[in-house]
Amino acid sequence: METLGYLMQGFGVAISPMNLLWCFIGCFLGTVIGILPGLGPAATIAMLLPLTFRMDPTSALIMLGGIYYGSKYGGSTTSILLNVPGESASVVTCIDGYAMAKKGRGGPALGIAAIASFIAGTLGVIGLMLVAPPLAKFALSFSSPEYFALMSLGLAMVVLLAGESMTKALLAMLVGLWIAGMGTDLFTSTSRFTFGNAEMLDGIDFVVVAIGVFALGEVLGNMEIRGGTKMLPVPKGIRNLMPTWQDLKDCRFAFLNGSVVGFVIGVLPGAGSTIASFISYGIEKAVSKHPEKFGTGVPEGVAAPEGANNAETGGALVPMLTLGIPGSGTTAILLAALVLWGLKPGPLMIQDHPTLFWGLVASMYIGNVMLLVLNLPLVPLFAQILRLPVYVLYPVIFGISMVGVYGVSSSLFDVWMLGAFGLIGYAMRKLSYPAAPLILGFVLGDSMERALRQSLMMSQGDLSILVSRPISATMLFLTVLVLIAPLFRRANAWRVKAIG
Amino acid sequence: MKFISFLVALTLAAIASPIAAQGFKPSKPVEFVTHTGPGGGGDVLARAIASAMEKEKLMPVRMQVANKTGGGGHTAMSYLMEKKGDTHTIAVFTGLWFTNPIMRAEANITLKDLTPLVRLVLEPAMLAVKNDASYKTLKDFIDAAKQNPGQLKQSGGSLGSRDWIVRQLLMKNTGTTWAFISFPGGGERIAALLGGHVNIMLIEPQEAGEHIRAGNMRVLAAISEQRMAAFPNAPTLKEAGFDVPNVPQPRGIVAPPGIPAEAVAYWEDLFAKFVKTPSWRKILEDSLFEDGFQRSAELDKFIDQYSETTRGILREGGVKVVR
Repeated sequence: METLGYLMQGFGVAISPMNLLWCFIGCFLGTVIGILPGLGPAATIAMLLPLTFRMDPTSALIMLGGIYYGSKYGGSTTSILLNVPGESASVVTCIDGYAMAKKGRGGPALGIAAIASFIAGTLGVIGLMLVAPPLAKFALSFSSPEYFALMSLGLAMVVLLAGESMTKALLAMLVGLWIAGMGTDLFTSTSRFTFGNAEMLDGIDFVVVAIGVFALGEVLGNMEIRGGTKMLPVPKGIRNLMPTWQDLKDCRFAFLNGSVVGFVIGVLPGAGSTIASFISYGIEKAVSKHPEKFGTGVPEGVAAPEGANNAETGGALVPMLTLGIPGSGTTAILLAALVLWGLKPGPLMIQDHPTLFWGLVASMYIGNVMLLVLNLPLVPLFAQILRLPVYVLYPVIFGISMVGVYGVSSSLFDVWMLGAFGLIGYAMRKLSYPAAPLILGFVLGDSMERALRQSLMMSQGDLSILVSRPISATMLFLTVLVLIAPLFRRANAWRVKAIG
Repeated sequence: MKFISFLVALTLAAIASPIAAQGFKPSKPVEFVTHTGPGGGGDVLARAIASAMEKEKLMPVRMQVANKTGGGGHTAMSYLMEKKGDTHTIAVFTGLWFTNPIMRAEANITLKDLTPLVRLVLEPAMLAVKNDASYKTLKDFIDAAKQNPGQLKQSGGSLGSRDWIVRQLLMKNTGTTWAFISFPGGGERIAALLGGHVNIMLIEPQEAGEHIRAGNMRVLAAISEQRMAAFPNAPTLKEAGFDVPNVPQPRGIVAPPGIPAEAVAYWEDLFAKFVKTPSWRKILEDSLFEDGFQRSAELDKFIDQYSETTRGILREGGVKVVR
């Protein structure tokens, strides 16, 4: 009941005309930068920071928050239409989203992404509102062994991402793990696989690998096809550009799955939205009645990762607002903003500044509605992009990719690396190696290695630390189940064949 | 009346112009480089300085923050090398700009290859434990470490970072050992301490303040020359009974190599004026930094001495020193 009173107070703050306007500005800007690859919410918030000094902190937080969760809505657009992941968490959306677009269902895919974002975004706020303090305590109980187990579970998803050949998927994953190891080793400060290049000391940026392998690889592969003037088919009529009831019904579980997985993983400071989207995709495929169709363009394959990606925002705000602990680049700069406004983020902030917290929570409910209203009408408009002839579209994708990569670090070296990864992506396509396992290995490799070494340092080299803790043991058990499931399925199919 | 003021303005301009002609003044927006991404320590400081400069109207032009991330600071340093002679580019340097070239062969640019202008702050730090830890003083912790060699844990950054260096110094001074577990982000280090997964950490005062107020954390010692005004109950290392050198985390301003002497003088004077402004005082107070202003001549000496000390500590800790 107390919560309801506070929430009403929060809506009182958020619904004032000025705050509604700031909320809208934030959501709109967020959508735009989400669509542009390379330009992320962290950089945008940093650029806008000087403008917020004259604003009331609550209004400023409402606007910056809008940019944060708004960017998650836009991130799926280029993934679905052009196979260009706008941010790390949209990589998984590429798999089935782009496959849907290839089948002429780009519009429905965009619609599903927007609706999944709305549902998960709203459920994420409800989670933030109701269970923030107890969940923050749960997040603290997570230590390196638990993170290692979580990453193992994530990595085990490779068996679900594999296409026709498990061997090829595993090889691609190993290459991803290898690339993840490049750069300076955190523990010993020695450099690994830098080939004497100072540019490689921080390793290779995620955007370079993902855009290179996915977008450039795809374009290079398609350029071989002669005769076609259109990249993808786009059906006429607005009806065919929106998801059908059947699509939404198919996605019922995916919406919920994405929301819960995204929120819970978002709360953990050392995890992030990318692993959340991979795991929710894996769960969706594992429980599906038609797992073989995943990767060929099923709406659930878009709804689950997009939902996870959006619910993660609500989760990531939990440690930030209740403990003052940032879990990602964006929450780190939001914390820095709070300090610059003269507030003291930390365990007492909600108690000391209730209007700030509840105003933000209420504005997030409003903002998610705004984003749905803003994004759904854009779907038919964006789907038209695919009507462009390939001689326009391919150079545009090349341009967007290069600008996006250059925008992250302003380094020309990264643009060359992008080209190299484009060629790798092309070669993988020609040899029919799946790209997703490479990205999966690359994303998880670094944090997984770190978590393992941290655990072993804590236990002085005793591996039993990984299985003697209940949460980590449970997750490792699940990992084993995921890994041996295909063997059972194969044995079963063989038996059926033998009997038949 | 108008005519008179016009005359006054004209005379003033006549007096002022020869001085202006001798000196240097930026004529277009100044690029203000930091090696951290948005939200990182250097980035936040650069943006705070840029908006304070604007507020105090000390510069005729704006400052634009540019994030040149990568290479452990090397990308930003080599960017300054490329900008040789450019009077409209400056950068924030931090302790990493000292240690990165010392430890990594690939990072072949040192702070001395550039034009260090001023030192602005010395960042203090604190050794903190969780509120329910059994140690009340740093001595209690050291005693516990003595009884269980290698068993206690500290969460921190990477090898060669300040928290690692302070640990090395304390272990050497007391003949104890404890584990050092690296975490990439400050948030994860704090989470590890608050979750009870490690026993101690070196934390920046601004990060610790609210956790101390909420009673989640306790300070054992302050890494600063004197007790910090915000934490009067935290003894310095010396007061706590440990005679180890203070390891300050310096931050300051550096320019590209080969800029004219007038430009160096301009930047030095600008920052000398800047550090006296109320806006800067407020930044120091909010971030709980210590004023560490030094002009370039003193800063040069500081760089030599700081690098030499760091090299010594690294060698003793078994780290390869490359330059």
